[in-house]
Formats: sequence, structure tokens, C-alpha cells
Amino acid sequence: MLSQFDYVKPLVLDQALDALSRDGDTYILAGGTDLLIALRHNLIDAKHIVDIKAIPELDVFHFEEGKGLEIGANVVVNQLIDSDLVRDKYKALYDAASVLASYQLRNRATLVGNLCNASPGADLPPALLIYDATVKIASSQGERTVALKDFFTGVKKTQLAKNELVVSVFLPDPGKDDKSCYMRQTRLKGHDLSTVGVACRLDGQGKAAIGINAVAITPLRLSALEDQLNAKGLNEESVLWAAEEIKNHIKPISDVRSSKEYRLHMAGVLLRRCLQQLMD
Amino acid sequence: MTTHDDKDICAMESAHVESQKRRVVLSLRVNGQAVVEEIDPTMLLLHFLRDRLKLFGAKESCGEGECGACTIILNGEAVTSCLVLAVEAQGGDVRTVEGLSQGGELSILQQEFVFKDALQCGFCTPGMLMSARALLDRNPDPSDEDIKEGLGGNLCRCTGYQQIFDAVKRAAKREREELKGS
Repeated sequence: MLSQFDYVKPLVLDQALDALSRDGDTYILAGGTDLLIALRHNLIDAKHIVDIKAIPELDVFHFEEGKGLEIGANVVVNQLIDSDLVRDKYKALYDAASVLASYQLRNRATLVGNLCNASPGADLPPALLIYDATVKIASSQGERTVALKDFFTGVKKTQLAKNELVVSVFLPDPGKDDKSCYMRQTRLKGHDLSTVGVACRLDGQGKAAIGINAVAITPLRLSALEDQLNAKGLNEESVLWAAEEIKNHIKPISDVRSSKEYRLHMAGVLLRRCLQQLMD
Repeated sequence: MTTHDDKDICAMESAHVESQKRRVVLSLRVNGQAVVEEIDPTMLLLHFLRDRLKLFGAKESCGEGECGACTIILNGEAVTSCLVLAVEAQGGDVRTVEGLSQGGELSILQQEFVFKDALQCGFCTPGMLMSARALLDRNPDPSDEDIKEGLGGNLCRCTGYQQIFDAVKRAAKREREELKGS
């Protein structure tokens, strides 16, 4: 790699935030499964690396009944899979975590890193968007919280400023009788990036929520489609309607993984399969 | 005459380029031995193991965490060492394929790989063994699905995987029996 960086591993959050505010060429290292690849291919020129793994606040992985689940920046994807709570309460997140990359990578890769990398095809965002996830962001100036749907601004772009760091992601308690799932299409069995991925949720009142990846410049929550579907009421007929209608709500491109037409088609197929599974 | 072919390709120097950054002292355990070395902060753990410790078991292939040839066990967890900086292993415990055998005798897992011919060219084998080791450490009785999941990050272009599967299953059984017997 061409980057010539120094490496620090602060023990408190303030030190990390200070380091970020001092120098614009500072990069945050948690799992490193995206950062190290970017460094290796010289896609970034890092002068400083701040390893956040020793900061205890960022290890938080805590559920409070009636409130929700907070997932800190150091929580790795295999922790989500190993959590009974995630499997029981946030099934779509469990599904998405289970198909992300390979076992070794999931031992390092963090949920927050998956968000900050902001790939349009990332597996975890659709499963978080359907739960109205929020993102807690800190800088040396203070803290702010943004909705995950507003966090992504483009391909590999977020509204995170250079001096900011994501502390955690928060998922409200979905309550009882809530169901969700995530399904995706890939080119091959085994680990591959998503060609299209759809997350669906039916809340306790029977209202549907839909998240999707790899069909636009950012992962999306399809609120307009949800509103129309929920107005019709969820039944066999309206599900088939939604599977067609979804094509008017997404703008996929053709790339190495798939043609635009196949993505449009599979978005409908996956939406139908998800909703049918939840209605069963 | 010395040609490129005479050289052990597995023991070739890595692509690490020394930065001009101030070196840091790295202290960790590797296969049970304490190691203290001054290193470049930009050095990958994979390159540290190969270039500095001359442990050539972990291989550099894709360099992007896709193939698993560089898999080692860091603090009890299988990781791809091409995506870990050496400094991240500060104070850590590293196990490589070189640490599997005891007193010159191959471990049960290695013996079963040999017995089932679970290798051909052998390039993926150290990574495959370390993923399998981590799997059996956390799950001594893995199902077929568990083995698929545990080894899914390790690519092999020779064997078609079936022999590897069989070797891991046999090793798991023998290890469980050994545990009962002891």
C-alpha cells in the first residue's frame, strides 16, 4: 500500500474525536474489512488511522424492553447472528447478517462499518431501515442523531462529516407480534454481494414496511409503496400488485452482477416471497 | 543455475512496502511463543507472519478477504490476516498452521486431511485447516451445514471440497472420542 499512516488506538472516545477533528486525512478503523481493501488498492490516502476497538462505549449491545436495541460501533456481525434477541425480535437483521460475506469476515466486520461504507448493495441497511433505525453520531462539538434513511447520500457517501464518528445504531423495540425477513438474490450460492435484497416487516397492527438494496444509489425504504399497499390492505391480490408496482419505485442499473431488467424483475419476486412468508 | 522455479513459491517475500513512518513495538504471542518486534505500522499481519517470523503457512492470494488462504486464528477467532494490520494484534494471541502439530506429530485434523486426500496443490490448506480448527473449537460436533458455513470463506480450486468435508467430519469424531477417552 502507498498510504503512509501512523496508527493510534485511543482508550476513550474523546481522544478519537480529537484525532478526527485535528486532521482531515484520518480514517477510522474498526473491523477493517473495507478500510484495508481501500488502502491496499490505494483508493484512499490515509495519513492517520484511529483504531476504535479499545473504546468501551462503542462495545454497547443492549436491549431495553419497550425502548429498543442499541448496537455500538464495535459490534461485529457474528455477534448479531449469535444473539437470540436479534433472531427473535429483528429477524430480518438476523437473516441479513447471516448472509453477509464469510465467517472470517463476519468476525471482524461491524454493523456500523457496513453502514458507513455506504455501498448501495450492502445487506444490513434494508433490515435496519424497516425498523426506523437511527444513527448516533459524535464529534468533538457534540452529538446528533439522524434517521438511517437520511444517513445515506449517495454511492459510498453518507452525511458523516470528516470529524464525525458513528457511535451506535438504535432500533426501536418492535413490540409483540412483529415479523420480518430479508431475502436476496446472488449470482452464486455462498458469499457474494447482493444482486437485489429485500427486507420486509409486518408490525403488530399488520402494517408492512419494505427496505431494499442494490436498486438505487443508496439502500432505500420504500415508504410510498408501503402506504399504497397498506391502504389496500395486505392480501394475496395486493401482494401481487405490489410485486409489479415496486418497479415504479426503484431505479436499478446494469452492472457486473446483473442487468437492470433482471433487478427490476427480482425486486418484485423477492418482495412477493418476503410478504407471503410473513403472511403465512 | 538458479531459476525462479527453484525457489519455493510459498516462501516468497510479500508485497509489503516499508513506509517511512516511525516503527512501533509489537508484542504478542504466536503459537504460544512470546514475540516482540519493531514493525512498520502499515504492515499487514499476514506480511508480519511471513516476512518477519518466516511462518509461510498463511498464504497471500486475493488480498481482499475473499479466498481465505491467509486465515489464522486471532484471539480465538478465525480471521483473514490480509485484512488485519499487524499492530491490531498488539497483546493478542495468534495461532497459525505451524502451531497445530505437537512435538513433531500432526494434529488429528491434519492427519485426517492427509488420510482423506483433502488437498491437491495445498495452497488453500493452511487456511482451510485454521478455519476448520476454529470451527471445531467452537462446535465439536458440527452439522454438514455448520461445516459449510464455517469453511465457506475458504476457496479450494482442486478438491471439489468433498474430501475436505469428510476430513473435518472424521476429525471432529476422533477429537470427541479422544476427549471422552481422556
